[in-house]
Amino acid sequence: MEVPTHSIILEEARCVGCVACCKACPTKAIRVRNDLMQIDPALCIDCGACIRACRYDAVRPRTSTTADLKRFRHTVAIPSMTLFTQFGHDVYPWQVAGALRACGFDSFHDSSPMCPMVSSAVDTFLSECQGPWPKISVTCPAIIRLILIRYPDLIPHLIPIHTPRELAAKLARRQISARLGIPPAEIGVFYISPCAAILESIQRPVGVAESYFDGAFSVAELYGSLLRAIREGAGAAEESFEPRGLLWAASGGESGAMRNANILSVTGVEDVTYVFDCIEAGKFRQVDFLEAYICPDGCVSGQLLVEGRYAARHTLQRIQAQVTSRSAIKEERVRSLFREYFFHMEDEIKARPLEPVARNLREAILRRHEKNRLLEELPHKDCAACGAPDCATLAEDVVAGRARLEDCVFLKIRQGTPLPEETGDE
Amino acid sequence: MDESVLYRETFSITGNDFERGGAAASAVKAIMRELGLDPAVIRRLSIANFEAEMNVIMYAEQGRLEFTVTAEAVKVVVADRGRGIADIELAMQEGYSTATAEMRARGFGAGMGLPNIKRSTDWFEIESTPGVGTTLRYGVLLGAAGGRG
Repeated sequence: MEVPTHSIILEEARCVGCVACCKACPTKAIRVRNDLMQIDPALCIDCGACIRACRYDAVRPRTSTTADLKRFRHTVAIPSMTLFTQFGHDVYPWQVAGALRACGFDSFHDSSPMCPMVSSAVDTFLSECQGPWPKISVTCPAIIRLILIRYPDLIPHLIPIHTPRELAAKLARRQISARLGIPPAEIGVFYISPCAAILESIQRPVGVAESYFDGAFSVAELYGSLLRAIREGAGAAEESFEPRGLLWAASGGESGAMRNANILSVTGVEDVTYVFDCIEAGKFRQVDFLEAYICPDGCVSGQLLVEGRYAARHTLQRIQAQVTSRSAIKEERVRSLFREYFFHMEDEIKARPLEPVARNLREAILRRHEKNRLLEELPHKDCAACGAPDCATLAEDVVAGRARLEDCVFLKIRQGTPLPEETGDE
Repeated sequence: MDESVLYRETFSITGNDFERGGAAASAVKAIMRELGLDPAVIRRLSIANFEAEMNVIMYAEQGRLEFTVTAEAVKVVVADRGRGIADIELAMQEGYSTATAEMRARGFGAGMGLPNIKRSTDWFEIESTPGVGTTLRYGVLLGAAGGRG
């Protein structure tokens, strides 16, 4: 059976009930029960750590299908900038674009010019806004989700400006509809994604009622057919790409295209958590803009890519030096679009606070005392064999009635309880 | 006013232990979150606790942070054994600092510590004896909903 949670699908037949995903999850959203992974949708931020951790291919992303493509009269592929880093430094972006056309999409839309336009719009936003500082980038949807559930105080720090991918989708639909005379609803706009977080942001977006995309595919699932099409010589003709846009594939690219240099770039969930804790404590107020990615190098280390992140970074350096820009981004044009609210999110970003564990302060304190008492009894091995990522989480689960203290194998051994026998087919 | 203690925990702080700087404040923040206190209460106390903890690390030999929750308020006492403060009035002025170059290099010593604690909390008291040590008492009142409002 296939069990979906957000953008993550568990293929139960492949799950062996090891605890790799459970230990890898940064928000402790995963438990292993009856030898199967279970994700708490309230805690999941779609960072994809479980996909990365699973050695049995039991955890995969929830993407569109070819049947989804057939629902539309015309289909457009808008790839993440990371796609151009996946085929080595002698494959140019226009070859990848040609390969996408050869792989079942009716057209390809380049979002690279939109990237520096958004950087410029963020510059304008920063110069006019009153704080609170620092303002935080919304490019990484896992970062937004982390803030919504864990750092609601930081919501006013989020920049209410759409990502280049969403704006490119909005623009592509408009342009293609005008050019081909097809109603906008009959055009299918699909993203080629490096990560699960963006898949989820298309299904359940933040700051807008509906994503401008109709669906998405992962880089990994298209990789084989794209590589074949590239080898067969698809898209040989040179097209222009915006080099500053390509750089958005890795951390530093977004802030690098801005005029404002008072920025900080932070990557990886541990460092992000550390910096967010600092901001909550009132630090980093002197910084204007924080570029933050849940993946260690930005999008180029997304879990749905094929090429390793170091090779991809190297390819990125090489190809961005070899593409030429079609035209300079006109700042006046960006400013006038800014005045027309072209870049702005339509809706307010709202917190998604977790259900409180207790009804009132007294009950919460009792629960904490109870948890500490249980934790005393537990072995502090944090082995996760019970199905919770560590002893403290098991204690919490027991207090909440979601687990039993006897789930701990060490306690079972100490109490002389016979362990469950391995059930085999001997 | 119901003064009965619902929860109390004490954390020790070691002077000059920059490695663990902020550890007590972080631990207290995690507890406040677990207790479901109002995010504004958590934010204000976290700022105060961090400043108070760093003061002990920078200027004292040994100290402790005592965190107490009653039905009415969250109260914090930070007491240390150390050089103390000779002129409290001066130390309470924004921008006044006796921090060394090393402390400044670590991003501290802007002379905002004590004023910041006072600003973030509902009450603030300071007692200090030069050569003996300093005690800070501060806290934040909880709303009618027990810190959830």
